[in-house]
Amino acid sequence: MRAIHIVTTRLSSSFIRPVLLDFVSCSPLRQFSTPRRFICAASKVNGGSRSGSIVAPLVVNEEFQNIDVNPPKGTRDFPPEDMRLRNWLFNHFKEVSRLFGYEEVDFPVLETEALFIRKAGEEIRDQLYCFEDRGNRRVALRPELTPSLARLVIQKGKSVSLPLKWFAVGQCWRYERMTRGRRREHYQWNMDIIGMPEVTAEAELISSIVTFFKRIGITASDVGFKVSSRKVLQEFFKKYGVPEDLFGRVCIIIDKIEKIPIDEIKKELGFTGISDDAIEQLLQVFSVKSLDDLEDILGGAGEAIADLKQLFSLAEKFGYSEWIQFDASVVRGLAYYTGIVFEGFDREGKLRAICGGGRYDRLLSTYGGDDIPACGFGFGDAVIVEVS
Amino acid sequence: MRAIHIVTTRLSSSFIRPVLLDFVSCSPLRQFSTPRRFICAASKVNGGSRSGSIVAPLVVNEEFQNIDVNPPKGTRDFPPEDMRLRNWLFNHFKEVSRLFGYEEVDFPVLETEALFIRKAGEEIRDQLYCFEDRGNRRVALRPELTPSLARLVIQKGKSVSLPLKWFAVGQCWRYERMTRGRRREHYQWNMDIIGMPEVTAEAELISSIVTFFKRIGITASDVGFKVSSRKVLQEFFKKYGVPEDLFGRVCIIIDKIEKIPIDEIKKELGFTGISDDAIEQLLQVFSVKSLDDLEDILGGAGEAIADLKQLFSLAEKFGYSEWIQFDASVVRGLAYYTGIVFEGFDREGKLRAICGGGRYDRLLSTYGGDDIPACGFGFGDAVIVELLKEKDLLPELGQEVENIVCALDKDLQGAATTIATALKDKGQTVDLVLESKPLKWVFKRAARVNARRPVLVGKLVRSVSRFCLQVSNFKSNLMTWSCSI
Repeated sequence: MRAIHIVTTRLSSSFIRPVLLDFVSCSPLRQFSTPRRFICAASKVNGGSRSGSIVAPLVVNEEFQNIDVNPPKGTRDFPPEDMRLRNWLFNHFKEVSRLFGYEEVDFPVLETEALFIRKAGEEIRDQLYCFEDRGNRRVALRPELTPSLARLVIQKGKSVSLPLKWFAVGQCWRYERMTRGRRREHYQWNMDIIGMPEVTAEAELISSIVTFFKRIGITASDVGFKVSSRKVLQEFFKKYGVPEDLFGRVCIIIDKIEKIPIDEIKKELGFTGISDDAIEQLLQVFSVKSLDDLEDILGGAGEAIADLKQLFSLAEKFGYSEWIQFDASVVRGLAYYTGIVFEGFDREGKLRAICGGGRYDRLLSTYGGDDIPACGFGFGDAVIVEVS
Repeated sequence: MRAIHIVTTRLSSSFIRPVLLDFVSCSPLRQFSTPRRFICAASKVNGGSRSGSIVAPLVVNEEFQNIDVNPPKGTRDFPPEDMRLRNWLFNHFKEVSRLFGYEEVDFPVLETEALFIRKAGEEIRDQLYCFEDRGNRRVALRPELTPSLARLVIQKGKSVSLPLKWFAVGQCWRYERMTRGRRREHYQWNMDIIGMPEVTAEAELISSIVTFFKRIGITASDVGFKVSSRKVLQEFFKKYGVPEDLFGRVCIIIDKIEKIPIDEIKKELGFTGISDDAIEQLLQVFSVKSLDDLEDILGGAGEAIADLKQLFSLAEKFGYSEWIQFDASVVRGLAYYTGIVFEGFDREGKLRAICGGGRYDRLLSTYGGDDIPACGFGFGDAVIVELLKEKDLLPELGQEVENIVCALDKDLQGAATTIATALKDKGQTVDLVLESKPLKWVFKRAARVNARRPVLVGKLVRSVSRFCLQVSNFKSNLMTWSCSI
């Protein structure tokens, strides 16, 4: 009998006892002298032999491909070290979602283009990764998850009981000119509550994100949330008699306030047909610094102020008051928000928005369904890695 | 001071002790009477008011989209119940891979089309989901993971130490005419060993799949693996002087042997230029029934027989001899296999191949890299689920949450919130009901979300207790607490 000794060395502080095993003698394994690396002559010649090799050379009649070993522009490979980080991040996303009782869902990364066509001038529309498939249908790699969620909710109809608390972690795409060196894909964590009209919903969503931050060691001194409400603009529109169909477009313009010069903003607003006087008033509203000042301008009767006050009150109950602050300039860049909106920001001011979300009570009707109150957020995998 | 009573009932056999909480009085929450459902008139009219609604109507100037609520043809949505099954399956894939010491990797689902263009006539090429992007580049949604893996290995070059043991679970796509009602996407589990020329590698891969099957309750009487080697064909080519550049094409044709009539096979083989006599001999080789018969035809000197004998010997060591069998007709449908090939099959013969793999020692050079010995397998998420259904092994996976917390009174929403937060801080999962609801509603939801413990925050304990005792689920072990604020 041949004894086989298994030797283990102590590699870490936890010591594993080696095991001694006896084996019945068996025929030795066939040895091959095939070298571990073959240098392949890049030739199209048929049947060329390689000297010294036992295995008959195999030339599959391929043209020599000049394959770029890098992933397509703007996309990422995940070799083991990067995959470990990604799994760590996604596990936190999912564990927090489950802690709050949310259920995981997923949808195809490819959807019909129509799902994403909104005419409000959003950046997300300009950069849609759309194309014609082999059957000449217009399809797109999704830029966000919310439209798919809305589609699934309508599809489920009365077979689901509201409220729904769903989450997803999925890859989203955009087509951007590569001169800017930005990514074309990222993963996004979403949590959504469907069928809950109360501000408690938005409050819970923000609480989830706070819980996530705390889990990975980020504190209220590192990041915060700026919150406001689209109802501010709604009430302004009513007061100044601005047609409601301009709502989406104006939101998108206002969203650019800290990104392009104020004169550009005024010009774009002018193009919508709003009077110069109303534009001045509008910009004043959005530069207001406190909820009280806002109340002075809008009056105390509207829902904008009431919603926001309720949110701050709930923040106290959830225990995250020091994480949120009112900021009238926050509208977010998606056309479909209708109520409270929020975005996570880094207090050092170096990074882009970490996450963003809000209420979107009228999205489903744009797809032909009955409107159901809804709110949710998206949280990308790029900025958070820069923060932590 | 206002007393808040927390009532919990015992829902399952494992009893969780309720928590007592004190609260400081707080201002009542603002009440809203916004109705929960709005019916939206599908009109393009600007500024039309909805009667009865407090919120100013909002018409974003959208054309009314006729959106198909179904996902695109051939693709799937994953609502919660389907997602639970998918997670269950993927977790097994990943746990088995980790058990064998493999590291997880991933690549973009979109690659340049060139990565998948092989001229061997593979079905995977005909059905490539390719298109031109907005910059007029030819790209494709990947039909398989192996080319991306090969690309990444070449990219890493000398920075990685061989052998590599990598696994991935990723979505793959094909473009097929929908008349056949087949899917256009599926998820595939891959495990690959790069830099190991020995048959022990293939043996370990098959062992991983066996381990996976056993974990989910599938046995050697349900499924098996048919194994053979591409070297059989290589040796045949040498013996009959067939040009090697026909290798890939001939493999693809042979792969169709049990799928199209034998005369079709002979015709396609004829098109390659192989003589009728050689074709007859070839088909004989592929209908051989045992390794010994094969040895009679090929002789004992070649590697094909030696590799296969070694694999069977290793199978014994790994403990899965009863799972594998030699089958000369197995070549698999991918052009790049060079050695041992295997496929998992269902013994009742009802289903398509469950998984498949093999050695591919010369793929990297087709991409401009140095060849490195490699082998791996792909395992799709469709057939395995059909198999589990057949064997009645699909797991029952319901939603589960430890606590459902609800305020029975509007004023107590804040208190319910604080309680919910406290429970979560202790690591317990909580479904917080976000507006005050009647008891009946709460119990219905508790049953649906399978909550182990309802935490009801209410003012009037007595009526609450009486109600709970009337509801059949919660007769026993009703406990109440009161606390003051």
